[in-house]
Amino acid sequence: MKLVLVGLNHRTAPVEVRERLAFPEDRLPDALSALRQEFGCEEALILSTCNRVEVIAHPEDGCLRTDRLIQFLYDFHHLQPPCLEPYLYSLSERETVRHVFRVASSLDSMVVGEPQILGQLKRAYTLASGAGSSGLLLNSLMHRAFHVAKRVRTETKISNSAVSVSYVAVELARKILGDLSNRTILIVGAGKMSELAAKHLIKSGISNVFVTNRTPAKAEEMAARFHGVALPFENLLSHFALADIAIVSTAAEGYVLRRPDMQRVVRERRHRPLFLIDISVPRNIDPAINDVEEVFLYDIDDMQSVIQANLEERRKEAESAEAIIAEEVEAYARRAATRNAGSLISALRGRLEEICLSELEKNRNGFSAEEYARAQKMLRTTAHRLAHPIILQLKNPDGNLNRYQHEVDFIKKVFDLEEEE
Amino acid sequence: MSGLLFNLATLAYAIGLASSAIYFVYRKKAFFDGALVAICVGFGIHTAFLVQRGIATGTCPLIDLRDSLAFFAWTVSLCFFISYIRYRVQALGLFLLPLVALLMLGTFFVRSSPIPEVLRSSWMYFHVLCLALAYGMFFVTFVAGLLYLFQEREIKSKKPRTFYYRLPSLDLLDDLFYKFLISGFGFMTLGLLAGMIWAEQKWTNWHTDAKVIAALITWCIYLALLYLRTSAGWRGRRAAVINVAGFLSVIFTLVSASFLGGLHKF
Repeated sequence: MKLVLVGLNHRTAPVEVRERLAFPEDRLPDALSALRQEFGCEEALILSTCNRVEVIAHPEDGCLRTDRLIQFLYDFHHLQPPCLEPYLYSLSERETVRHVFRVASSLDSMVVGEPQILGQLKRAYTLASGAGSSGLLLNSLMHRAFHVAKRVRTETKISNSAVSVSYVAVELARKILGDLSNRTILIVGAGKMSELAAKHLIKSGISNVFVTNRTPAKAEEMAARFHGVALPFENLLSHFALADIAIVSTAAEGYVLRRPDMQRVVRERRHRPLFLIDISVPRNIDPAINDVEEVFLYDIDDMQSVIQANLEERRKEAESAEAIIAEEVEAYARRAATRNAGSLISALRGRLEEICLSELEKNRNGFSAEEYARAQKMLRTTAHRLAHPIILQLKNPDGNLNRYQHEVDFIKKVFDLEEEE
Repeated sequence: MSGLLFNLATLAYAIGLASSAIYFVYRKKAFFDGALVAICVGFGIHTAFLVQRGIATGTCPLIDLRDSLAFFAWTVSLCFFISYIRYRVQALGLFLLPLVALLMLGTFFVRSSPIPEVLRSSWMYFHVLCLALAYGMFFVTFVAGLLYLFQEREIKSKKPRTFYYRLPSLDLLDDLFYKFLISGFGFMTLGLLAGMIWAEQKWTNWHTDAKVIAALITWCIYLALLYLRTSAGWRGRRAAVINVAGFLSVIFTLVSASFLGGLHKF
């Protein structure tokens, strides 16, 4: 076992446990040096976020038991064993590779497909490199993990759909209106909620902002913040004819907008689509307005239902991402296995040469110096030609890795070889 | 029409259609790229076929009904490229290609004789060319209108499913609809004018020909659609009925001569 992982995450441990195990960034260098000096790790990396704490390490003696890493977690955080027992997982090399690939690709995240975790992993790697605790194995694993994450992001649509209310509003606006850059937004009710909802939409490129409010001063104030224009509240209906998107959030008890009103507005708009967002509770817009042609009305619950559908869509995309991960884990293991083939190959060549030449040595006296040199050359060539098909097989394994490992062991056994690591 | 090139083009379109369908369901980008390559290859071979046929007959390759079908198929895939390059609507291929495939296959079953030597004139070729382009564009209009309805329903239902994720925005679909409607209408007007001028010289009673009447009805339907779209902003569900009527009318116009007879029967 060359790389092992010990840790816990949002699925295995509640937040009370996760926060006790968290490593503040300024203490990470100390933790990494403790791992190397006191716990026998040659390479180590600690990933500590609010959803997970994981230690990945390569042991000095090539055979580290994960209980040393667990011991490190108890010691560093001054905890009494076995309080972490039910929350921790320990992974062997192959599982570690798979796990790190999945974490980097955000398949193991609380909200699948959210990209923050990749940045956090990169940061953890930078800190490990800075502390001098990242070597050959961790470097190659991390670079591969970043590559895999990039593949997953570009080859699947796992991060494409919005999973928060404000982003869903932007996504829907784009689905209805396409490019938002020359669009107009009308904000009815200059409260905190509507400001929050409008913010992302305006950041997405909307150029014209109109604000209206029962108290004109508040409308002026918000309009100034968004570089927009305040409109009088009295002729509210006519304002809807100007807008492509309207966010409505007033303290009114009943509907401020009813279906017959909207039918008039739509005619005035010459059927240009209108996206209405009602974030007020109780609702300000008659739900029947959604039935008017070219008017799309969403309230808070409707947005939630889009979020649910988008999460489901992400889960579907995660399935194709898992296929990419499986492929990459296999390729990684194959590379790791054949990386060691070089030393085995030279050992095998030497052994075969030795066998062939030993026969010549036994009968050395029967040859002249010239004949001896020629025979030696011939036998060397013979040895190389014998080794050739075996070398080919070692360099390009076909079939699965288990069989490859068996083949390697078999060759080592029959030729009595000790490869240098 | 059993040319090797023609068969190859049909095969390439079929492959394009199949991988478009797989892409629509599984959304693996490789399948869309594959579909695009297949359609490009099909279109290239199809073009080569038209050129070869033109050289073989020594004239514009539009001298029998099968030629016209093959040419109509060519204009539909041309429209696919124009709309893809301009709008990047990936789902469009899935809806346009079945018609291309149908037209290509149709040529194997249609019996037709070449039109008489006397009718072969540049007026005639211009007439057929414009109308084939117009019908190809009306087909894109029809599909864009259909996709608009699908997407509108998804957004109104508030429970997004397949189409929501795979179709572009309503705004884009409306633009696609409108642009192809205008261009198609322009070409149809040109084609009809050319046909009338030319018919005036050859025949006296062309006004009562079945296909002429059908085409004029089609033209009126699209005129109404265009008028309502530009002046009253009709789109989506309001425009859908007229759009469907227009498309059915195009189909009827295409086949009318075959069973109603008249001057267009060859």
